[in-house]
Amino acid sequence: MKRSKSILVLFLCVVVFVVGCTSNKSAEPSSSATTKPTETTEVKPVETEGTEGTKEAPMLAALVSDGKLPPVEERMPVPGDIMIEPVVEEIGQYGGDWKMAWNGPSDKWGIGMITEEALFRFTKEGDKVEPNVAKGFEVNEDSTVFTIHLREGMKWSDGMPFTADDVLFYWEHMLTKETFGKKIYDAYYSVDPVSGEKVLADIKKVDDYTFTVTHKYPSVQFLERVAIDNKWFFAPAHFHKTILPELVGEEKTLEITKQWGFEDPKQFLVETGYYYWLYPQIPTLRPWVAKTDPNSDQFILERNPFYWKTDEQGQQLPYIDRIVQTKIQDPSQRLLGTLSGDYNFGQFGANDFTVLKENEKKGDFRVILWTQPTWSSEGIQLNQTTQDPNLRKLFQDIRFREALSIGVNREEVSDIVTNGLADPIQASVPEGVIGYQEGWAQQWAEFNPDRANQLLDEIGLTQRDRNNFRLNADGSELTLTIYEADPNKNTFLELLKKYFEDLGLKTDIKLVEGGALFDLKYANEVPIHTENISVANVAFRPDTLVPLRIITPWFGHYGLYSQSGGTDGVKPEGDVAKILELWNQIKASKSTDEINRLSDEIYKIHRNNQWVIGYAGPTPAITVASNSMRNIPSDLVSVDEYRGLGHAHPAQFFIK
Amino acid sequence: MLQYSIKRILMAIPVVMFISFIVFYIIQLPPGDYVSSYSAQMTAAGEVMTQADMDQMRANLGLDRPVYEQYAIWIKKIVFYGDFGYSFNYNKPVMDVVKQYMGLTLVVSLVTMAFQYIVAIPIGIYTAVKQYSAGDYFFSGISFLGMATPNFLLAIILMYLSYTWFGDPLLGLFSSEYVNAPWSMAKMMDLLKHLVIPVIVIGLASTADLIRVMRGQMLDELNKPNVITARSKGLSETKILFKYPTRAALNPIVSTFGWSLSSIFTGSTITAIVLNLPIQGPVMYKALLGQDMYLAGSWLLFMSLLTVLGTLISDILLAWLDPKIRTEFRGN
Repeated sequence: MKRSKSILVLFLCVVVFVVGCTSNKSAEPSSSATTKPTETTEVKPVETEGTEGTKEAPMLAALVSDGKLPPVEERMPVPGDIMIEPVVEEIGQYGGDWKMAWNGPSDKWGIGMITEEALFRFTKEGDKVEPNVAKGFEVNEDSTVFTIHLREGMKWSDGMPFTADDVLFYWEHMLTKETFGKKIYDAYYSVDPVSGEKVLADIKKVDDYTFTVTHKYPSVQFLERVAIDNKWFFAPAHFHKTILPELVGEEKTLEITKQWGFEDPKQFLVETGYYYWLYPQIPTLRPWVAKTDPNSDQFILERNPFYWKTDEQGQQLPYIDRIVQTKIQDPSQRLLGTLSGDYNFGQFGANDFTVLKENEKKGDFRVILWTQPTWSSEGIQLNQTTQDPNLRKLFQDIRFREALSIGVNREEVSDIVTNGLADPIQASVPEGVIGYQEGWAQQWAEFNPDRANQLLDEIGLTQRDRNNFRLNADGSELTLTIYEADPNKNTFLELLKKYFEDLGLKTDIKLVEGGALFDLKYANEVPIHTENISVANVAFRPDTLVPLRIITPWFGHYGLYSQSGGTDGVKPEGDVAKILELWNQIKASKSTDEINRLSDEIYKIHRNNQWVIGYAGPTPAITVASNSMRNIPSDLVSVDEYRGLGHAHPAQFFIK
Repeated sequence: MLQYSIKRILMAIPVVMFISFIVFYIIQLPPGDYVSSYSAQMTAAGEVMTQADMDQMRANLGLDRPVYEQYAIWIKKIVFYGDFGYSFNYNKPVMDVVKQYMGLTLVVSLVTMAFQYIVAIPIGIYTAVKQYSAGDYFFSGISFLGMATPNFLLAIILMYLSYTWFGDPLLGLFSSEYVNAPWSMAKMMDLLKHLVIPVIVIGLASTADLIRVMRGQMLDELNKPNVITARSKGLSETKILFKYPTRAALNPIVSTFGWSLSSIFTGSTITAIVLNLPIQGPVMYKALLGQDMYLAGSWLLFMSLLTVLGTLISDILLAWLDPKIRTEFRGN
């Protein structure tokens, strides 16, 4: 009796348990059956209609025949003013989704650079700019007056005409009023070669499709600097007229801010004026425009029906219908999704190279390696203005830097940290990038601990403590503190610590949060940091090599000195002062040749001083694209100045 | 009992106020603020942020004011307008962010909880009744394993198996085509399919825990005089089991029920990050990391409120469930 009852109980439990499990399991087959048909409908837009000479995507043609959209000829600029985008491999076909993982709305630039349309963009080689949104330009002999032509009949993504008024509006009401949280960019100032006085340019409208930029002093690199500093030099006047406090009044702006769900009008203007591509309400000139709230779990951008570029056969770009970005919370999910075919495109770091390469066939994708103009992939920067006077003296001593450089076995760093992907070389400008110097990569690159020890003894670090660590010449404790925010740098730092301590230099690694590190950097409290130098051309963007403000660890508070006009920070001396002098000459320079010569000088000073020590050469930027995604260049310089992936001209990517 | 409840509720008010202050203080403790973490992020993305840009941003967001002033403004808004402040990361009021994730968080938590109780209680009873049988050893073994395995590791293993067997790691709660789709039968099915791994992973540890607690309690109760008396009266074995020992053994489970209140509303964090679940846990984690202080602060405040509330509910439930507690209380 008792037994049968307990069996009954057991039976009950098992039933409950099994039911609990099977209710989940039974969901599986039925749901996979229901997802299948939707998958096939998704592929449907990829049809061969494009090859029959259709000038627009089928999805837009349908809207036109429904009367919801004007015909394609009316949507694009006048025939002569349409921009023809050369394709990389072949003429593409319309349709499909470009599926990517994304880190959420804080990753503004990831999607920003892909869809960016600048007034002028860098050529593939990156040595000069070419017209993009602009149709062309003329410049007078002494580089003071730039006449810029726009494309007649070009339209914003909401169909409103794009004219010189949009440029003038941006200049007068946004840029010079500093409404979107940025100071007037340096590019718009010209510099008096004698006094160094900065004068703001003058912008004038000539007609609807022409405007001029007039500088008081020659500004040879104006267009390049605009392409880097400001990228776009226009804004949809008809939209911003309705929100700017200057035009609608503070109260109205506050009201609109609240309507949009923002708290503070200033922050609202930053978001709408600067990060405008994230908001579906704001018209743009980009190939794809936002369709969903960027805060949702999937951010979708859809083709811009008014896009102003075609391929060589006159088909309106872009080829791909939508960009679908799915939010991820951990970088490994990007990898996993790419392997399983969930995403057809992704960009990765060097440490994922092996696993990607292994799965290339199985995952039906290809791994594309793009050059990065970085000086090193693993290295350190010694803060030349670090607070501790003993350390500062050491860091400024070239023998100390040499000792730190030759005291580390680069072969091992390369093998262990970069899978052998990087060369065991010094931090230097890589071959093929502006500023390359022969032999620099080998400078202090050979592993020679004996000489390193000898150098350290020569400097006066001969006393040792109980643990056999070197002491300062005055007998005080000597510790090299390396600050780091990226936990992935751990392997490299452990290795570095071992080599430094072999030399008798006590090394301390401090892992801090990114924001905190940023603050420490500003307070000049970071003696050593692992940031790598990445620069396409110092004349275009000097931030990493010229101490103009606090940003790059090696020059520390020399930057503050320049930034504050000499009232704060540490006064640059010697070679650092020389770099600043050269930079001022570049700014006031009258010819490109002169600029190139002066830039080269700056690179040479860096070579002679090696404030930045590299232990492994640059690694390539790894891009993965599904084999069906075509027209992706295989040889590209991937760098922020050229707008990263945007440099590959994604509008002409297509899905086969 | 009513008097007791009222007293408890009144006592909770200063506790919550004190917690709110501590919360705000702790959030301010780490070096840097939202602007510095934002600037670090933007600089890493290649943007140029000057000191002036940052100062302006701090002024815009009110971060340049002293801490006590920021706290006073925050509390004032909560008390008078029900406004919990503004999330810098999302550019939205905190409540909007919370609302956005609440639905799915509750789905995941409640399904997980149901899974826990449905699985754990019967197994607990079974292993106690059939102590030292093969089944007991089997389930005990499983439950020890479940308690000892870190959740996120199990998540990774299940994702790996799912990827190698079905070619889909089942990340997130929806397949990508359904994320923004309106609700439909197919989307529902897709959600159920994606719920399997999270529910097992998040639920397993507490399920295992519950099995152990239930088994131990049952073993204590099974030989109590009341059970023997009932049996001697000739009551059916099932009736005895459910009327006396099971009821008594549920006590500790009910008393911990209230504590799980805050975890129902936040969901898990690490597991959710590993599995890419769009629920509250990772949102809060991100807020703490990025020093999105009003979002993080509001969340910590909610959680402490819920814990206080949960304890209260547990006490009342216990009094209701267990006649002994009830009478003892009356005796007071």
